[in-house]
Amino acid sequence: MMDANQSSRIRKRLTRWALNVALFIAMAIICLPGLWIVLNSLRPTVEIMAKPPVWIPRELNFDAYVAMFSGVGAGGIPVLDYFRNSIIIATTSTVIALAVGMAGGYAFARYRFRGKSGWFIGLMLTRTVPGIALSLPLFFLYARLGIIDTHFGLILAYVAMNVPFTIWLIDGFFRQVPKDLSEAAQIDGCTRWQAFWRVEFPLARPGIASAGIFAFLTAWNEFALASQLTRSTNSKTLPVGLLDYTAEFTIDWRGMCALAVVMIVPALLLTYAVQKHLVSGLTSGAIKG
Amino acid sequence: MADLSLRQLDKKYGSFHAVKGLDLHVEDGEFVALVGPSGCGKSTTLRMIAGLEEISSGDILIGDRVVNDLAPRQRNISMVFQSYALYPHMTVRENMGFTLKIAGRPEAEIETAVADAARALEIEPLLDRRPAQLSGGQRQRVAMGRAIVRNPDVFLFDEPLSNLDAKLRGQMRTEIKRLHARLGSTVVYVTHDQIEAMTLADRIVIMRDGLIEQAGSPDEVFNRPATRFVAGFIGSPPMNMAEGVIQDGLIRFGDGETLPLPAQFRDAVTAGQRVTLGLRPDDIYPVGHGLHAGEAVETRPLEVALTEPLGNETLLFVRFGGVEWTSRMLNPRDLRRGETVDFQIDLSRVHLFDGESGRSLRTA
Amino acid sequence: MKPWRLPPHLLLLLPAVLILAAIVVIPLGLSLWSSFTPFRLTRPDTMYDFIGLRNYARLLGDAQFWSAFGRTVLLLTVALNLEMVLGLGLALLIERASRGQRILRTIMMFPMMFSPVLVGFQFKFMFNDNVGLVNNALQSLGLTDRAIPWLIDQNLAFISIMVAEIWSSTAVFAIFILAGLMAMPRDPLEAARVDGCTPWQTFRYVTWPFLMPFAFIAMTIRSLDVARAYDIIKIMTDGGPARRTEVLWTLISRTAYSDARMGMANAMAYIAILLSIAFTLIFFRQLSKARSQIAAEW
Repeated sequence: MMDANQSSRIRKRLTRWALNVALFIAMAIICLPGLWIVLNSLRPTVEIMAKPPVWIPRELNFDAYVAMFSGVGAGGIPVLDYFRNSIIIATTSTVIALAVGMAGGYAFARYRFRGKSGWFIGLMLTRTVPGIALSLPLFFLYARLGIIDTHFGLILAYVAMNVPFTIWLIDGFFRQVPKDLSEAAQIDGCTRWQAFWRVEFPLARPGIASAGIFAFLTAWNEFALASQLTRSTNSKTLPVGLLDYTAEFTIDWRGMCALAVVMIVPALLLTYAVQKHLVSGLTSGAIKG
Repeated sequence: MADLSLRQLDKKYGSFHAVKGLDLHVEDGEFVALVGPSGCGKSTTLRMIAGLEEISSGDILIGDRVVNDLAPRQRNISMVFQSYALYPHMTVRENMGFTLKIAGRPEAEIETAVADAARALEIEPLLDRRPAQLSGGQRQRVAMGRAIVRNPDVFLFDEPLSNLDAKLRGQMRTEIKRLHARLGSTVVYVTHDQIEAMTLADRIVIMRDGLIEQAGSPDEVFNRPATRFVAGFIGSPPMNMAEGVIQDGLIRFGDGETLPLPAQFRDAVTAGQRVTLGLRPDDIYPVGHGLHAGEAVETRPLEVALTEPLGNETLLFVRFGGVEWTSRMLNPRDLRRGETVDFQIDLSRVHLFDGESGRSLRTA
Repeated sequence: MKPWRLPPHLLLLLPAVLILAAIVVIPLGLSLWSSFTPFRLTRPDTMYDFIGLRNYARLLGDAQFWSAFGRTVLLLTVALNLEMVLGLGLALLIERASRGQRILRTIMMFPMMFSPVLVGFQFKFMFNDNVGLVNNALQSLGLTDRAIPWLIDQNLAFISIMVAEIWSSTAVFAIFILAGLMAMPRDPLEAARVDGCTPWQTFRYVTWPFLMPFAFIAMTIRSLDVARAYDIIKIMTDGGPARRTEVLWTLISRTAYSDARMGMANAMAYIAILLSIAFTLIFFRQLSKARSQIAAEW
């Protein structure tokens, strides 16, 4: 009789071990590529290219970063310009997308109207258009309007790209704010606008912040449209700039890794900041639709 | 069916000692209720029996089988949960037959078992509904049906009635009692409601801070509470308690009032000892309105501070010995707040507890 | 008479509708038109030369197009399903971890925040036959002594792309399924254990029915931007070697910008758009069914 208990205890312990190992491996696979990039941005090209491979770095330095930010640095790639463009375009388009998305999300969360779900699906479907497919007519149109290779053109495109998903998320967040609150505020003497601004908006703010970060990251990371609608340092963003490191047959791996780190760090920081709201926002918005 | 033994059962969560060396034997077919305030370890104990909680040390035996480390499925038990824990995506029929289906029994057998249980619980018309379409009381019945179908060695109930309203609770209590009488099964029933425990159980186990305060029949725990805690926990309205000191054959209370030391405690106490006197509301009443013919009665004129008429009886609140006492007046007459009435105190039914340990001073 | 005013909900939706009309709907109308013309960027006047369905007819018989189409569907089906399975596994592993849940969840989400271009470069680097991490590791461990041509061999290249795609998007599934796990009531799980279920049976009969809607939600959200994969492929192989990893999106891009055959590219784009919309609509339908199921039962 003791045997059954013993074997069941051993089995329990083994499963626990196996699952912990599995978790560790999964996490390692997730982290490894990022760490590999960071490591290679810090070591000299000779070591990256070494055969047999050098596993324990002998020399680490920030040369790649220094070169990148010292004006037109290594290989003449104007990283600073790209960085500035990326920041301007991503920030502006996020702010506008949030404003538009908040209006739309509020309409879906608080009003009943005919064909509501049809409108909603219609809006979402605009998001499914692949960027590369959209870039064809946009390229033509922008060329006609003369807004190719401008901040304005790209900002406009990113707002349109982000609005549907922003509406979805913000709709979810406003649903979580009880309707009673705004009604109570109106009875207390607020106008509908005041009730929104003073009561509903502050309560939905964490959610709106994470919708904003989602929009920012989409714009920050976008490539398909940007690669066609930008031409020069006027408006090229970081993802497009990354291509500058690839020549016909060679790639400056070290410089590229450094630029990659520059791109990913802001994204990771922002993600970490809203990690909690992001998950709850995505799910509550999606489930209680 | 089988009996159940807990031997020196221990549960620690980090530094928190939830269950402290519990010893308990439940006879085959016995209905045992675990009661106590929340956090006393009763639910943890039940969950350890079920195998949902690992034990820190000690032994659990079902029949003569040690089940310490076995998975719940290997223990042949059934459990009724507080939230009923029905599977929302299955019909009532599927819910009840689930355990047999898992065990790989043939369709026909499952069908018969479910039909039998449904008949016993009068839920046949509900068999094709989903849990979301049932009322609280119906869900409760389905949960019980699911437990019965398994035909387990031990039934476990975890506060099964606490989500029901008062009226349904009364009905289901009767139902559970009838079911137990019919099936003769071994039951461990956890509740925080002492009335449920009193009405249902063959034996009540009162727990506090991970320890057993007293285990006994409903009659025993009511009439011979082993500790001040048990005395206060069992019975409604709760027992009146007053602190005092033994002096010159008297119990002297904080405000100087005294009562004679009841005869049954004369040898159990020493002068100067601090004690707690306990008296049920039934044993202090206006003259002529008592439950028992008093054997050793002390009469005191007391002022009625508040009345709570309940129809067949009225609860009176009076101040005596520095505390407020509840008195139960049977065949009530009209009494007003502020009236002074002669109250009889039945000394033969007084409980005395040691002021320090809280243990009963009763010797026999 | 009260003057007619725009109802508030329409007023609120107006900015969104306007901007989407200007940037998505009207341009798509334009591209629909141009898909009926032999439009070439170099000769703007061809824009007005209506040729009816000739582009589409040509596509129907174009083996290159159909193999790209088939490859796209294959990539999406395999990748989405694997992502769902892996995401489920990841979520289950994280959910049962007793400590460090928050940090685990954050790490899990990291790949989602990598730009697809970055993912492409990252894996292009790692799968590089000469200096890549994968070959370096395999060689150092003595598992192979030659350089495996990950991105050069056609099948290996497809697999490498798949790995990159799965790495970057499994998190979407994991997040939703994890949210489902955390929202799931404990009691039915315990009831199942007491009722005699093995861990697998508990999962099969109780956990999975509850999680399914969450998986569908993740599918829907993923289907909204499956075309992100374009960036990855563009960087890793650009459709090569010898067009063996060509998918619809890279083919469109090549036809439009390298060959400057805009009309033809638009015709392809329209087929790609319809494919995306079909995918999304299917999942939306499943999603609303799943939603009402959760609302009604759990």
